[in-house]
Amino acid sequence: MRKIVQAVAVTGILAVALSACGSKSDSGTGTNNTNPGSGGKALKACMVLDVGGVDDRSFNQSSWKGMTDAKQANSNLAISYVASASQNDYTPNLNAEVAKGCQTTIAVGGLMTDAMIKIAKKNPTKKFGIIDSNTGQPNVYGMQFNTAQGAFLGGYLAAGMTKTGKVATFGGVNIPPVTIYMDGFWEGVQYYNQQKNKNVQVLGWNEKNQKAGTFANSFTDQNKGKSISAAFAQQGADIIFPVAGGTGLGAGALAQSSGGKVNVMWVDTDGCVSAPQYCKYFITSVVKNLADAVNKYVTAAASGAFPTGTSIGTLKNQGTGLAPFHEFASKVPSSLQSELTQVKADIISGKIKITSPAQPK
Amino acid sequence: MSVTDKQPVDPESSTVHEVVEVPVSRRRRIGTGIVLAVVGLFCVLAFGLGSHAGYDATFGLSSLAAAHNLPDVVLPARVTAILLGALVLVLAGWQLGRGFSRRQLRWVLGVTIFCFVMAFLCWAMTGTKGTTIDFLGLLQNTIFTATPLILGALAGIMCERSGVINVAIEGQMLAGAFTGALAATVASSLGVGMVAGMVAGSLMGALLAVFAIRYVVNQVVLGVVLNVFALGLTGFLYDALMQPHADTFNNPNFFGPKQLPLLGDIPFFGPLLFDANVIVYLTYILIIAVHVGLFHTRWGLRTRAVGEHPRAADTVGINVLRTRYVNVIAAGLIAGLAGAYLTIGTIGAFSKNISSGKGFIALAAVIFGRWRPLGALGAALLFGFADALQTVLSIVGTPVSIPSSFLAMLPYLATLFAVAGLVGRGQAPAADGVPYVKG
Repeated sequence: MRKIVQAVAVTGILAVALSACGSKSDSGTGTNNTNPGSGGKALKACMVLDVGGVDDRSFNQSSWKGMTDAKQANSNLAISYVASASQNDYTPNLNAEVAKGCQTTIAVGGLMTDAMIKIAKKNPTKKFGIIDSNTGQPNVYGMQFNTAQGAFLGGYLAAGMTKTGKVATFGGVNIPPVTIYMDGFWEGVQYYNQQKNKNVQVLGWNEKNQKAGTFANSFTDQNKGKSISAAFAQQGADIIFPVAGGTGLGAGALAQSSGGKVNVMWVDTDGCVSAPQYCKYFITSVVKNLADAVNKYVTAAASGAFPTGTSIGTLKNQGTGLAPFHEFASKVPSSLQSELTQVKADIISGKIKITSPAQPK
Repeated sequence: MSVTDKQPVDPESSTVHEVVEVPVSRRRRIGTGIVLAVVGLFCVLAFGLGSHAGYDATFGLSSLAAAHNLPDVVLPARVTAILLGALVLVLAGWQLGRGFSRRQLRWVLGVTIFCFVMAFLCWAMTGTKGTTIDFLGLLQNTIFTATPLILGALAGIMCERSGVINVAIEGQMLAGAFTGALAATVASSLGVGMVAGMVAGSLMGALLAVFAIRYVVNQVVLGVVLNVFALGLTGFLYDALMQPHADTFNNPNFFGPKQLPLLGDIPFFGPLLFDANVIVYLTYILIIAVHVGLFHTRWGLRTRAVGEHPRAADTVGINVLRTRYVNVIAAGLIAGLAGAYLTIGTIGAFSKNISSGKGFIALAAVIFGRWRPLGALGAALLFGFADALQTVLSIVGTPVSIPSSFLAMLPYLATLFAVAGLVGRGQAPAADGVPYVKG
């Protein structure tokens, strides 16, 4: 019996030590005290990240960058984040941030919509922000992005660059903030086909069939991302557009294995900055300017005027678009580059209509 | 059976169960026959007549990387599906009329599953005219997904055969994945990373062994705790070391494929089996080693004796606790290798929770494979195949559109049905999870 007690005791100590590690890591990287900028009004702003961690090289990372950017300009901001380990953490995390006394809490990701609505109703005096969602609540500011516009350019570019006549895209999970990219990509390819009388195929997604398509069902499983990319390559695709957070890095690994026969178009952030090890294989990235939207919101909130309603990032206001070509700058023909400029102008002017059902309204 | 047998002549007869071949009961025979008949009819009606007439099913058997290739196999989809269904119906008829023996039935079920899958593929390719499924690629992806599961399952088998339940495969994999990436980067050597990953796995195994054997902790609870421990520890170290200094700590590159001479040149099988990386080759060796070791060596006999009836083993002078320590720690080496595969075998970087539940699938493969290496191999390959198939189906599309969320269930569904049909009730080692206290 004594031995069992001993063992339980040691196990308990391990568990306590472990949880101590966990909380330390959060507050350690979560509070940023560098570079005090010019003084502004104080505000305690908190962020609840989606699964994948703050360093997912994708949406969590760029949302958090918006907070640190705002902090650099206004040293009186107190910023912190808490990461979600699973979808079950959304509600407790949001509750904890409210209880901590955060004056505004930003939820990163449309998957938190339901949890956010509940908590916003329960705390009508608190202010909230949410990315990729329009909750309709008076105290929740929605930051949405019509990334179909940026992805449209990506699709057009991919169609112009493919040598095999097949390009591919896959998602993390079948939800509107993911499929909006896939829709835009698909439409861009169709537009290219129509303009040039070509027949470039899109594997893994068809806007006309929203229930089907290729999904990893994970934003973290890089091995799954690699096996999906391998299947695309086997079916003949030579450009892959993963819309799956960290899972998408598996596409980079596959491109590396293929020795450059397969290339990748990165998503959300500029891939050459967020995942530089695969920069060689990134044609470009379809970016979503999360950092800018978060920065604007937090800065406005700190000035005392909490924005209300929603904002929509578009090509016109630089909320979405294509990142620089980096190592592909010399490989993308200049005629294709100028066509892209024209397509972009046509989308902004409304000459090209984007039909994705996932677009924010 | 007696544990003191010095000569384990037939591995089948040296375990408690399956000593005598029990004849299949009439009820079971008819039941199985009806199931086969339903499967056959389904192939004919749904996959045969449900497919577009006149469309071809093209199976790609060539690899771009290989020197010698087989030509693509082009089959008329509808006719092929109907013929495959008819073959299953013939088997069903024989089963209903005369009945297969237990041993034959395994082959019959294997053939049935093969026919069903091929008929399904034929049907799936009639969605759009001219669809090709890269069959070789499909099988390559199967091995890609199955490798860590096979290794994890082998680790589980070695533990459980000696009487220690190993729920901590997931944690051992994580430790191996993390340490593999870290050591390979720091030492700039993938070989060092692989060995370090294995050692890390065995250290996790040693923790399991000490608490389970020395401190007699409930082994299932212990396994769960170790998994959480590994997840937290690797996550913390990732935040502290790898994330801020990715180039110095988390940039290990990964093992590229090495084509074996001669074997690698065989069309189809060369690129499938003999153009892989070193961890996959090690996996082949380990499957054979664990199988032969368990059923044909003195070590194996002792391990199984300790797992089935530790008191009897002790009576004849086998050191029960030592045997268990050795097995659990050696199994940790294999689970660590499975982890190393996930980072330096495929991706070339660690990320939090990179194992994503693969350790638990491996644990399921142990049980589905009835605590046998070859059984677990089958279970892991089946899961890998269903996973690869799911991806390909979502790419090529099917005549009747299947929602992606439904397709995602396919690997789990296929495993469940195959287990229910092929494996039936398994029997764990009698002393699995029971601590041995002398006296």
